[in-house]
Amino acid sequence: MIALASARLGRFFRRDSLGLLGAVLLLVLLILGIFGDLLPLGDPNAIGAGPRLGAPSLAFPLGTDDLGRSYLPRVVEGIGVTFLLSAIAVIITAVIGTLLGMAAGYLHGATDHLIARIADILFAFPALLFGLLAAAVIGPGSIAAIVVISTATIPLFIRVVRSVTLSVAEREFVVAAVVSGASTWRVMLVHLLPNILGAAIIQLTYALSVSMIIESALSFLGLGVQPPAASLGSLLRLGSVYLTIAPWLVLAPGLVLAAAIMSINLLGDAIRDALDPLRGRSLK
Amino acid sequence: MRLIYFLAPRLLIAAITMFGVALLVFLSLRLIPGGYADIVLGPFATGAARDLLIQRYGLDEPIFVQFGKWLWALLQGDFGNSMVTNKPVIDEFLRRAPVTGELAILTLLLALAIGLPLGVWSGLAEGGAGGKGRLGRLVGALGASVPDFVIGSAFIFIFSKWSLGLKVGGFVPLDQGLWDNLKTMILPTVSLSVFAIALFLRTTRDAVLRVMTDGHILAAVARGQRPRDIVRHHVLRNAAIPVVTVTATYFGFLLGGAVIAEVLFSIPGVGYYIFSSLEERDYAVVQAGVLLAAFVFVSLNMVADFAYALIDPRIGAARSGT
Repeated sequence: MIALASARLGRFFRRDSLGLLGAVLLLVLLILGIFGDLLPLGDPNAIGAGPRLGAPSLAFPLGTDDLGRSYLPRVVEGIGVTFLLSAIAVIITAVIGTLLGMAAGYLHGATDHLIARIADILFAFPALLFGLLAAAVIGPGSIAAIVVISTATIPLFIRVVRSVTLSVAEREFVVAAVVSGASTWRVMLVHLLPNILGAAIIQLTYALSVSMIIESALSFLGLGVQPPAASLGSLLRLGSVYLTIAPWLVLAPGLVLAAAIMSINLLGDAIRDALDPLRGRSLK
Repeated sequence: MRLIYFLAPRLLIAAITMFGVALLVFLSLRLIPGGYADIVLGPFATGAARDLLIQRYGLDEPIFVQFGKWLWALLQGDFGNSMVTNKPVIDEFLRRAPVTGELAILTLLLALAIGLPLGVWSGLAEGGAGGKGRLGRLVGALGASVPDFVIGSAFIFIFSKWSLGLKVGGFVPLDQGLWDNLKTMILPTVSLSVFAIALFLRTTRDAVLRVMTDGHILAAVARGQRPRDIVRHHVLRNAAIPVVTVTATYFGFLLGGAVIAEVLFSIPGVGYYIFSSLEERDYAVVQAGVLLAAFVFVSLNMVADFAYALIDPRIGAARSGT
């Protein structure tokens, strides 16, 4: 079973080198983010461990920040925080988006209209401005960031799941289940859900990449995670203050953030190309 | 005439959406624990200041009465007064709108000029697979991965060390010379465009790939039409709808204020205004900003709906176009 799965995975990545690049990059960053504090990189919060705004050196590979803290463990901590916040927000989005999208696509009528209007309303909120409003109402911090990210990513998730549900719900096995008396819940969870998972997973990867952009943008504006915790965005915020005298403070989190988002995008594209039967044709 | 059947439901939906946005914005500021007076005044308010505020905004009335009055004022174009300057917020927004508008239009033009041809080229190339198609995918993924504030910071570093003829910050209004103005607008425009180029590239590539699987393309090939004509008459027109959707959506997003680009490059547009108002606890501005941005966004989507009907004659003709 495992051999079969790994053989399939191997074929998938051999056909798609960009997808492989994304997967490897993502795996490395995830391991760094999750197990980073177990590695002997130094204490991210030890103030005065080195000189203030020190340039990269052997002792401090990524330099030191304005309080003399070693920057390498801080960036590694930032990866973890950015991934964690985005992941929490996207899981919320996936659960709510899948449930509402399935309900809208399968139940039709008033439910469909209601959910579509909710999606429209949320979609009309510009994410960052909504972030400013959320910061005003519940105060800046992780909770506000998660609320904003979920609100921004749910509408598209609902729409994608709804449209896939519409087409799956017309297939024979669903009709057969309904005719043989399966309850609405049973049809949705046993027959529809497994068949929309593929589309949901593709949408999940895009939502995750958008989440990381929004999270870091909010933190960059000082509306996301609050000190002493650091996400990649809040490191960039601090770095931009000392941009001209200590450019490494922006370079490291900037590159890592771009690499993290790109790994997810590449992987998402590869999964979509593998799952989507609608491939283009050449004119030749 | 039949267009009305297509547009009327969409107008209704836009109205419902705007109402929902207004309700949500209103409730989020009034229904939180502690109440509006506490967020506005902060924790160290005197009783007299509270009473004044409660009286001014009618906070002692039932919430639905408050909402009704607020909405009625909104419909008459009254978005409230700034809590700092006590002037109508809407005037402040209108004064700054041209700056944000210019940034949005420049960004959209640059992104479309590069993203559309790249997307068509990458989508047509060997059915999206192979070297060219993969290059398109890589460029699309790369551009969508570098946030505007990372590119913007890199620009600020590079161009404040070596000016290279461009200016970082020190915004010059358009009426003080086009070239001087452009010199301050190029960097924010380019930092915003990178993501937008990738967005248009990916959308166009996807749309082209999808159209290429349609039967009528195969039929055109079978008829022996030249590839150039097939692309122009059959592929591009059919691929246009998703591209129009994304263009409208993204333009709406840009007009709502590209907060980060404006803050980073000190461009005095609406995004910068809303952000600095938050720091001054001027929530009337933040509230009006979110409302206005959402209204602009919904209106642009209406325009996009209208454009669909122009591009695709089937949409206006079919009554069940929804």
